[in-house]
Amino acid sequence: MASEEEDGPLVGRTGTLAQILSDLRSAGPGGTSAVFVTGESGVGKSRLLRETAVSMRDAGFAVLSGTCLDIGDASPLHPVLQALRQFDHNVQPAGSAGALLDRVSQDLREVAGERRLLLVLDDLQWADRSTRQLLLYLLAGLGDVKIAVLAAVRAEALQGAHPLRKVLAELRRLRSVRVVDLAPLDRDQTVELVTAITHGKVEPEDADRVFKRSGGNPFVAEELARDLRDGRVELSDTLREIFLSRVDELPADAHSVVHAIAAGVEPVSHPVLAAVVPLAEAQLIEAVRAAVAHRFVISDSEGYRLRHRLVAEILADEVLPAEATVLHRRYAEALSLAEPDHPRLAHHWQKAGEPSRALPSVVASARSAEELYGFTEAHRYWSSALELTTADAPERTELLAHAAESAHQCGEHLRALSRLDELSGRPDAPSPCDLHLRRARYLAAAGRTATAEAEYERALESPDCSPRQRASAAAYLAELLLHLGRYADANARAVDALEMAEVNGSTADLVRASAALGFSAAFREDPDAGLAVIRNAVDIAERSGHPDELGVAYLHLAELLTGPLNNIEEGVLVARRGAERLASLGAGRTYQTRLLAVAAKGLFRVGQWSEADAVLETAMRHRPSGADAVELLLSRCQLWVGFGDVEAAHRDLDAVATLLAGGGARHVLPMLTLRAGLAMWQGEHPTARASVQRGLTETRSDDLVLIGVLAWHGLRAEAEAHAAGLPVDAGALRRLKVAVERMAAGVGNAAAPVRAVIDGYLDLCAAELSRVEGRQDPAPWAKAAVVWDKRGQPYPAAYSRLRQAEAALQRRSRKATAAVALREAYATATAMGARPFAAEIVSVAQRYKVALAGDVAVVPPVESDVTDELSLLTTREREVLAALAEGLTNREIGERLFISERTVGVHVGHIFDKLQVRTRVQASRVYLTAA
Amino acid sequence: MNQSVWGPVQREMSDLLQGHPDDVPAVVEQLKELQGILGHVPPLLRGNPLCDFNQLYLTITEGVLERLYAGEFKDPAFLSRLDVEFAARYFDALRAWAGADASPRCPEVWACLFQRIPGPDCRPLPSACAGVNAHINYDLPFALVTTFDHLGTDPIDDSDQHHDYLEINEIFADAIPGLRRGYLEKWQLLIDTMNGCLDDWWQGEAVEYTRNVAWRNAQKLWGVRHDMTATDRERAGLDKTAAGLSRLLLSPLGSFLQ
Repeated sequence: MASEEEDGPLVGRTGTLAQILSDLRSAGPGGTSAVFVTGESGVGKSRLLRETAVSMRDAGFAVLSGTCLDIGDASPLHPVLQALRQFDHNVQPAGSAGALLDRVSQDLREVAGERRLLLVLDDLQWADRSTRQLLLYLLAGLGDVKIAVLAAVRAEALQGAHPLRKVLAELRRLRSVRVVDLAPLDRDQTVELVTAITHGKVEPEDADRVFKRSGGNPFVAEELARDLRDGRVELSDTLREIFLSRVDELPADAHSVVHAIAAGVEPVSHPVLAAVVPLAEAQLIEAVRAAVAHRFVISDSEGYRLRHRLVAEILADEVLPAEATVLHRRYAEALSLAEPDHPRLAHHWQKAGEPSRALPSVVASARSAEELYGFTEAHRYWSSALELTTADAPERTELLAHAAESAHQCGEHLRALSRLDELSGRPDAPSPCDLHLRRARYLAAAGRTATAEAEYERALESPDCSPRQRASAAAYLAELLLHLGRYADANARAVDALEMAEVNGSTADLVRASAALGFSAAFREDPDAGLAVIRNAVDIAERSGHPDELGVAYLHLAELLTGPLNNIEEGVLVARRGAERLASLGAGRTYQTRLLAVAAKGLFRVGQWSEADAVLETAMRHRPSGADAVELLLSRCQLWVGFGDVEAAHRDLDAVATLLAGGGARHVLPMLTLRAGLAMWQGEHPTARASVQRGLTETRSDDLVLIGVLAWHGLRAEAEAHAAGLPVDAGALRRLKVAVERMAAGVGNAAAPVRAVIDGYLDLCAAELSRVEGRQDPAPWAKAAVVWDKRGQPYPAAYSRLRQAEAALQRRSRKATAAVALREAYATATAMGARPFAAEIVSVAQRYKVALAGDVAVVPPVESDVTDELSLLTTREREVLAALAEGLTNREIGERLFISERTVGVHVGHIFDKLQVRTRVQASRVYLTAA
Repeated sequence: MNQSVWGPVQREMSDLLQGHPDDVPAVVEQLKELQGILGHVPPLLRGNPLCDFNQLYLTITEGVLERLYAGEFKDPAFLSRLDVEFAARYFDALRAWAGADASPRCPEVWACLFQRIPGPDCRPLPSACAGVNAHINYDLPFALVTTFDHLGTDPIDDSDQHHDYLEINEIFADAIPGLRRGYLEKWQLLIDTMNGCLDDWWQGEAVEYTRNVAWRNAQKLWGVRHDMTATDRERAGLDKTAAGLSRLLLSPLGSFLQ
């Protein structure tokens, strides 16, 4: 009964197929690749997926296939778990969302063995949120699976606001991802298809009619061609007519089989079908055979499916409501007999119009979705459970509580609040205090802080509030006020909360109150008081020994130290100790990862880059996911940029972009900043400029630190462009100046620890501006160097020293001071392993003949007595020319100078223009004669 | 696909539409280039109705970008994303346009306007309004839903995002003098000539023009966004209503707006 041989010929897709195969085989920098095929129904997506899968399997890939369901309420990760089950891997619930992703990855690795893995997903438009997140996790390389993903998406679904639309729009920017839009066949291709199916016995006019009627849709064209071949004189006008006339030709039993499968959730297994269709074994098999022969049904090892979902949609309209109800009830009854598949059971009982029998399955589905961290799916189940119950049902109260909480967890804040409103109106509602606390939590998450604050106050005043609840409310309120930047209020509230928590509170409340107190004190310039409180909280958490409480407490202490207190060494120490402590308990993996992330960031800032590298490697071994993974990847990428490892930096940036395709606005700016930093080392000023300008359109005017970092990058890009003899973008420069003014205007209102950071960036911005304007003034750079020294951050300090020295040398003044600054910068750069930065220092030293250290060549290969011709060139152009004269290719020159091949090309063009030569040989000759 | 729908600039058009801008500066760039290309579509050249809309949209987007750089929005990340999502839908409609009856994936409301590119000629104001109608009454609610979904927040009245969204009303009002209060009696008259379903949809919100309608529709779509069938039903409904209004604007009746 195999169906695949019955496929018509594959027409007009040879090129596409070859392209898809090659795209899937060539993995991107992260070892993954993906092709998404979009197109209208019937255009041949599934067929293309099948053909590709066969070729890839022949090429030695392990192939896993899954199909997403359109029952609206599929269970989390359905298509992937289903695919794994074919290989006898039943993924079990895990301790956390991240652990679950890790577990799925591990199963995928086992299935793949030594081979690369191809995951084929059909009908991805029906995929649930957790499946989409898993895909991004795998494509970002976090699962450590050498995976290629091939997925089909119905183009109709992408209209409007389908979540995949956004995901695909973001992913298609990556080099390792391709979105293939499968167009209908053109006239010639349609005729080719028709000719093949009719074995050439077709009149040209008829073939033309098929093209017109089908619009080049291969599925429709194929069916019309069969009508022609089988001698149906009048071609049907629509797909609907084609199939309805064919249904009429079916034997009665086969007719029932087709209708039954159309009402089922595919694939329908034989035993289930046997229970649904009341026929004797032999008759049933006969009927199935007929349905297959008439090309309605295909059969494989898992069961039966309709040949195309389009057919199911057509048939659905043909069935009387009463017939459909009966079929669904039979399905539900049949499914109840075996190991219950709750999502399917729920679907069929609902369609059978039996809400009370659907309810237990809906609730079971909700609970198992929660076990798999599919909060969106769980929320949908709890919501449909509510739809199945009436106001007088006693279980409604509990359902409402679940529905509200799940809505909150998946970010449906409005829904959560309205559920809570209904819950509070129930006769057996939870206590008023409990409701206030929950409402406050939901409101805070929805960003309605003023109302949230009022709710916490109401909870505190409510007479039924237990001492424990009161302590908890006060601690949350203090935390909220801290986030709002109301440090005095937060401080006062935290003091109260701490007192209450010490007597009646849980350790979690105590830690929360201590943290609020510690940070608010630090921001109010009373750091020691706050520090003592948080240290105490760590001790208390140590006594409780609960991993999560320990993790939170250590995290707060480490963040306070490395953040507002700027005591980075100790902060790093605390973070690492906390992580070790949790590791010794064998728990709190998420907190270990976060603590290590804090340590790595601190180590980066104090210039201990190789140490930071080692810490990040340990952290990555914890297999983080979601926002934690993004944070770590960004930190690691920052190191790559510093080390000058361009390829690794691009790889991590791509991984970040992949994860952010699923959401996560707050990480966009750090990503853009890194992109700008990387582009600058490569001499790609336009890229750096574009990244910064985009960043400027997305920063809030009160995010002064973020504006500071961005503005510095932007000004530096303009300054470097200027130094390379390229034009400065006047518009960009004007906007950067506005941003700096905004920062300068706002710095007075910032808390002291924040002010110190902003001041540092303001100095860097002022200094870069002097460079853009060609002032060659060492003074602002000297000032910036001192400020960053004071903050204990060697990298910006050394960078300032380089520019200070460069400006002084350009002015030919105070050469001795300049030389000292340059040597200091060089020592710092080499100690950190900052290769591109060190190279830049060396090139300045060579240009001005400053001795750096014993092993660095003092006399540059370039210049000395520059002839008039070479003096036309900028410094960068002279460096490029020197390398060119050595016979290096553009690529090699780019690698040596840490600039892109394309930029080298631009420089070479300028050099040719200025030297009035046309070939590399001529340019080399000019250079060698002059040197 | 009908390859000649853009005539002599077919090539430039398909090259331009290869681009998928991902920030507001890039959207402005793409609209600018598009304006240049549209001006070469015969026979009306710069007088074609899409040119009128595109110019207006370009002006508005430049206004948005300026305010973003000036830090005038409360949640710039939201507004930037919204602007990009919003523009993407206009570019998608252009990409899907392959001529009348040959563009199943081009929303009807856009098809009404695109069909009129070769003529007959109509006045610039109603042409631009037809484009604004398609873009705001059809595209905007979906752009809002996608943006909120992506940022992980919901469309809440009086939120920072709602504030920023309304701020754009000002930019629109500045850019479309024809839609300011003084002209609204005519506008209302036009609406009155339509059938009842448009009246319901309009709900007398003429003064705020149609942008609050889009916000309300976005909230409605937000509630059903996980239900593909319901979303699609809403989508088709919005398309149909908005297309009706566009046809009216582009009919001889529409010309009395100007």
